[in-house]
Amino acid sequence: MTAVHGTATEFVPMLFRAKLANVRPLVNMLKTISFRPRARCIISPDGLVFAVEESQCLVAQAYLRAELFTTFSYNVQLAEYYRNQEQEAFEDEVSQDGEQSDATQVVLPLDNLIECLTLFYGPAGTSASSTQSSSISATNLYTSGNPGDLRGATTAVIGFKGPGADFELMLEERGTISQCRLSTFVPEPPVDLRFSHYPTTQQLIIQSKWLRDAFNELDPTSESVHISIASTEPHFRISTMGENGSTDMTYSNSERILDSFFCNEDQENQYNLSLILKCKQALAMSDKTKIRINQRGFLSFQFMIPTSADVSFVNFVFAPLVSADEPVAPATARV
Amino acid sequence: MRLRTLVSNSTLLLRVVQSIDKLSKSAILKLTPTRLQIIVITELDSGLQLWCDLAADAIFKDYLIESAHNNEIYVEFNIDNLQRALRSTQSGALSVSMKLAKRQGLPVLSIIIRSQSGSGHEVSLIQDVPVRMLSAQQMEQIQEPTLPDGQVHFMMPPLNNVRSIAERMKGMGDRVAVSANREGEMRVRVANDLVDVTTYFRGLETMTLDATQEVEVDGEFHTAVIDMKNFLRFLQSYHVAPKNVVCCIVEHHAVIFYVYVGSAGYGGAAALNETSCGSLTYFLPVRQI
Repeated sequence: MTAVHGTATEFVPMLFRAKLANVRPLVNMLKTISFRPRARCIISPDGLVFAVEESQCLVAQAYLRAELFTTFSYNVQLAEYYRNQEQEAFEDEVSQDGEQSDATQVVLPLDNLIECLTLFYGPAGTSASSTQSSSISATNLYTSGNPGDLRGATTAVIGFKGPGADFELMLEERGTISQCRLSTFVPEPPVDLRFSHYPTTQQLIIQSKWLRDAFNELDPTSESVHISIASTEPHFRISTMGENGSTDMTYSNSERILDSFFCNEDQENQYNLSLILKCKQALAMSDKTKIRINQRGFLSFQFMIPTSADVSFVNFVFAPLVSADEPVAPATARV
Repeated sequence: MRLRTLVSNSTLLLRVVQSIDKLSKSAILKLTPTRLQIIVITELDSGLQLWCDLAADAIFKDYLIESAHNNEIYVEFNIDNLQRALRSTQSGALSVSMKLAKRQGLPVLSIIIRSQSGSGHEVSLIQDVPVRMLSAQQMEQIQEPTLPDGQVHFMMPPLNNVRSIAERMKGMGDRVAVSANREGEMRVRVANDLVDVTTYFRGLETMTLDATQEVEVDGEFHTAVIDMKNFLRFLQSYHVAPKNVVCCIVEHHAVIFYVYVGSAGYGGAAALNETSCGSLTYFLPVRQI
């Protein structure tokens, strides 16, 4: 266990404190990136970002804007004070690319965080886990995916005192209270796939239901998935080649399917399918998905998830396997 | 040695046996002219123990028991076998009776279920549950754990709430600290290197089992650290009166749960002794490091 932060008589001010009337949206957002045990939490006046990375070729981030919380307070001056203290201790610290200067970063155990937030969800083992089902169906940010779960809302107060302190949660439901403390870790330099460093050559916005259909068709025995976007028909194609044969989903640039479409340069790239499939849960909760590919073939999925306030985002960035030179097997189904 | 009786409340007996089903493979049945006791010992000294004590007349009628040792009979049986036999009594039986018998030279508890077939004939179904006879000396060795008096006694909050929360906490550690004070607050805490969770239940009814003892109301918490596995086993095992459960904390020794059987509805501490026909007592020893 981490050392007790301060004594009972010593007042340590809160660096960050937020209140949630219902933990469900937070839990569902966190579950979209819960394929890694630890997450980086970036706290800024705008809200919270939880980020995970895998194998140095996938980065996923869930954005929780301050407006989603009932109250949200972040002490910017105190954050700067702690940052200066750290810089004095580590004189050769290099500032990170793209990092907000007033943000605080901390690494915490994501699976334990979700376990704590779902403490009052009811009998364990009855909650549906959509990562186990092979097909994706739409889910709502406000449901637990478990029709038998009729419990009321759990409220939460989240707090963090600063570097070295535990991440604190106080949960309440119908008079029962739970206090949780999660150990935190000093963040290492983040894996930055630097998507924005290169021009976006292709971009489209597709209604997520079409993308869910495509994902359900993908052959999981295939190691890679080919994604190609072109200025001529078929404009958008996703295909796999596995032990069971090949699958091919194509989309044309029709208003009914693609909300927007932009293609500067025809490109086809391959990505690791098992990594691509990690975004299934985010896809399930989203209304629309923005797909972008940059000049280096890096792929970005931005999932737009409806929330009470507005729209919340979950981003996934993938590094390509290899730039394919030959076209994939001939088109079959055309949407 | 003779045992012959009608089982007037086979449902109650079945529920008691269902409660102990997940605790162990076998249990001991001790029958006396007035009491029926079921004992489950998982591991001597360090394991969970269940001692169930029921009034014989809550379950039996026309009860005949004779033996050389105070008319008491002691047997060991397989819980699953007895449970299956008792389940057969639930589908519209006219009468159920039980006797001690021998089949091929081996002792069995024979349960006879009389029911009416569709055509109006009486049908008898006999379920034989093999048992191992225990001698008086062997029974002598089996004693309820001796413990000092507990520091605090209180009524548990609804067990299904505690159970679902404990099930979600179980991945965080194999030990759980159960604490309570005399102001009706209970704490359940699990911790490991990464996470530390304490859940508070408040507004619980406290009491003392000895009416003459004055209850000092104070906020001091008394704690016993027990095996999470045993805690869950208890929480998952209730089939009888889950609303009337008393918890007793014997600091540094054990957590004891008293489940009162046969009480109808929630009457609080006052109703416990009036309407119950017996109890199940679960001993959860403090985990030895």
